[in-house]
This record gives sequence, C-alpha cells and structure tokens, in this order.
Amino acid sequence: MLRSSFMVLGAIALIVLVYGAPVNAAARDAEGFIRDTGNKAFASLSEEGISKVERTKRFKELLEEAFDLPRIARFTLGRYWRVATDTEKREYIGLFEKFIIQAYTKRFQDLSGKKFHVLQSRDVSATRALVLTEIVIPNQPAIKINWRVRSKDDKHKITDVMVEGISMSVTQRDEFVSVIRQTGGKVAGLIKALRKKTSSN
Amino acid sequence: MNVSSKFKRRVPGTLIPLAFAGLLLAGCAAAPPPEDKEAVAAFKEANDPYEPFNRAMLDFNLALDKAILRPVTSVYLEVVPDPLQTNVHNFLQNLRGPVIFANDLFQGELDRAGTALLRFTMNSTFGILGINDFAAEVGIEKHDEDFGQTLAIWEVESGPYLVLPIFGPSSPRDGVGLLADTLIDPFTWLTPLEYRIGRSFGTAVDKRARNFDQINDLEKNSLDFYSAVRSLYRQKRRDEIRNGALPTNNPVPGSLSGVPDGKFGDQQSKVTPTER
Repeated sequence: MLRSSFMVLGAIALIVLVYGAPVNAAARDAEGFIRDTGNKAFASLSEEGISKVERTKRFKELLEEAFDLPRIARFTLGRYWRVATDTEKREYIGLFEKFIIQAYTKRFQDLSGKKFHVLQSRDVSATRALVLTEIVIPNQPAIKINWRVRSKDDKHKITDVMVEGISMSVTQRDEFVSVIRQTGGKVAGLIKALRKKTSSN
Repeated sequence: MNVSSKFKRRVPGTLIPLAFAGLLLAGCAAAPPPEDKEAVAAFKEANDPYEPFNRAMLDFNLALDKAILRPVTSVYLEVVPDPLQTNVHNFLQNLRGPVIFANDLFQGELDRAGTALLRFTMNSTFGILGINDFAAEVGIEKHDEDFGQTLAIWEVESGPYLVLPIFGPSSPRDGVGLLADTLIDPFTWLTPLEYRIGRSFGTAVDKRARNFDQINDLEKNSLDFYSAVRSLYRQKRRDEIRNGALPTNNPVPGSLSGVPDGKFGDQQSKVTPTER
C-alpha cells in the first residue's frame, strides 16, 4: 500500500518535472520583457506625424536597449569572425548597427491598426528563452514572430527575431558571408560594401 | 481522348523549364582552392555550385518581373478593391485543394488530409467556387502542402540551390515537386489550355501582390539581393516542411542547441501555417 503511494507520488513528481518545467521564472521574465519591449515599440514608433529623423532616433534607442547587438554582429559574420582583425571587428560592429537601423526603421512605419500579442514562452537553457508572439493585422492572417532572449543578472537581451520561421540573424549572416566570399574571402570587402550602403541614403 | 495522349500534349510545356537545367553544366562555379579552409567551408555551406547560372537566371527573372509582372501587379493593387483581391486569392487557393489533399495523404497526415478535403468541399459550394473562405470562418483553418515537401518528408535530399526561369528559387527536389503537383492536379487534365495559362498568371499576380512591399524592401535594403533571396527561400521551405513547428536544431546567436523536441513542438505543428 505504502509502496504504491510512493509510486504514485513518484509518477506525479516525474510528470511535474517533465511537463511543469517549460514555463519557469526565467521564461516568464523573458516573456514580460518581450511584452514590455513590444508595447514600448508600438507606442513610440506608431506615433503619427513624427519626422523620419525622430523615428530613426527612437528605433535606435529601442534597438540598443533591447538587442544584444555585439553578439548578433558576431554571429552574422559567421566563420569569418575568427579571421577578422580587431580593427575590422570594431568597424564592422558599428556599421552593422547603422545598416540594421537603415534597413529596419521603415518596416515599423505603419503600425496603426495592428496589435501585438505575446502567446507563450519556453526556456531553451538556464539563460535562454524563446518567446512566441504574433502581430494581428485586420483582415489578414496573423504574423508569427518568435524572439530569442538571453538573460543575465536580471537583464534581458534579444539575440534573434524569427518572422514566420525565418531568422533575421541567419538571413543576414548568409548574405554577409556571401558578400565576403565574392570579395575574395576578405572581411574588408564586406566593410567596404556596408560603408557604401549606409552612406547612400 | 485517352490519358497517354493527354500526357503527351500537356507535359512538354511543363518540362521545358526543367530542360534549362541542362544549361547548368555550362554554369558551374569553380570551387575555391582546398588550402583556403574558410573559403572551402563557406562554399560547401552555400550549397550553390551553379551560382553563376543561378545569378543569370535571377537577372532574367527580375527583367521579366520589371517588364510584365510588376507593372501588371501595380495596376491590380491600384484598381482592384481589397475585398475583391481576397476573393481572387481565395479562389486560386481553393483550386489547390486537391493537390494539398493528395500531398497530405502522401505524407501520412490523415487529419490534415481530412481538413483539406472538407475545406475544398465547403469552399467550393458554400464559399461559391472558393471565392469565400467559408471553412476558415467556421474555424477550419487553411494549410498548404506540395510534392516538394512530400519528397522532403520521404527524406529525399533537396540537392543544390537552383533558380528556375519564371518559377524562381528552387532545388532539384522542388523542381520535381512542381512537375509532380502539375500531374497530380485534376484541373491540369480537366481544363483547357487558356484556363491553365490564366490560372498560372493569376497565381503569379496574386503572389506578387501579396509580397509587393517586402520584395521592394528587400531589393532596396540588401547588400546582395541574390544571397538574401537564397537564404529566405531555404528557411521558408524548411519552415513549410516542418509545418511551422519550431526547429529542433537551428544555429542562432545565443543558442547552442536550439529548442528541444517535445510537447511544445507538437503543439506548434497543429497551428495552421499562415499564408505566404
């Protein structure tokens, strides 16, 4: 009798361990962080009548606050990070941020009528979580957006955004690596292309 | 008319684009020297030995887009009211019903096959020939499948990246899938040529219209449009093959192993993949 109760208890403990684990404190924190960041982004970028310069400034602030830019920059250089010189790395990180701001600010221009919902989240490891969200647009299918979040000392940073299963970091890395390959495997070639792109408009 | 003569009459038109594949042999990229390790690894990762040919095909497709598809789509977006555009999309998507149903069966996804069949029946009748997505309104959500995905489920390798003339980004696996879907599709056999041309063109305009801003945006903001498209195509196909479930091992910054398998992923796969 006693033995079987122990077994039931054990089974319950096992179930709790296996199925209860996914949403622990870390994931909930990351979830809250994404909710706050999303709401903030919607509030600050959807404001009508603000100038292009002001919108860019606000986007830059949000980007620097919420994203782990050095880590993303490193990832997007792929295998070439190891062969880049320190000077190249420094210049590349700066240009990368400029490039992202230039390429992505416009995508946040038209947020009116759209709604941002956090759906659920899951721990990937002790310091990493994945937060699932969607953007609801009237009369259109919702867009699934998943965020990878890295947490350290109660500070959260986004390391990747996946839109409908497509990772922005992976896309950027594939493109950058291809540019480096075409310029004879030199990181300098990519830096030159980024310089040109970010100064053109 | 018997089936074999129909086959002879209809299939060559589909085969012509694939014949371009023969040109590939002329457009092979030179592999980097073996002593340059980074270059060799990057070359392998890109899995694009026909890059010169593919770039030429992309240029060809873009020229065609600028000359025909983009102008037509601009007018379409300008002139046709949004609700009517949705009707057009629903109608064209409903025609894919039998192909989706067949591929669900090939993949052993009986639940999804049932959904596809139910949707096709409901939308073709209550939805008035498919112009209204009646099934979605009562909670039977849409999904998509094609034979390229079926081959992937059957563990056929995708092969290298391949840009097909007119059809765009593809692979040997998806090229075969495209041909197979045409053969599976009852409308290929039941309808006249004019209808099929109209349907293909309509589908192209509908797809272009739904991605109009994104394509412009990508052309404007990419350093290398070709490799950005290649990356997007591959990631999108992987997502479609998984039916929108989370990847189990996707190397991304800040993640060594990605998301583990399990309950969570299964829940995701039941979420209907949204339209692209």
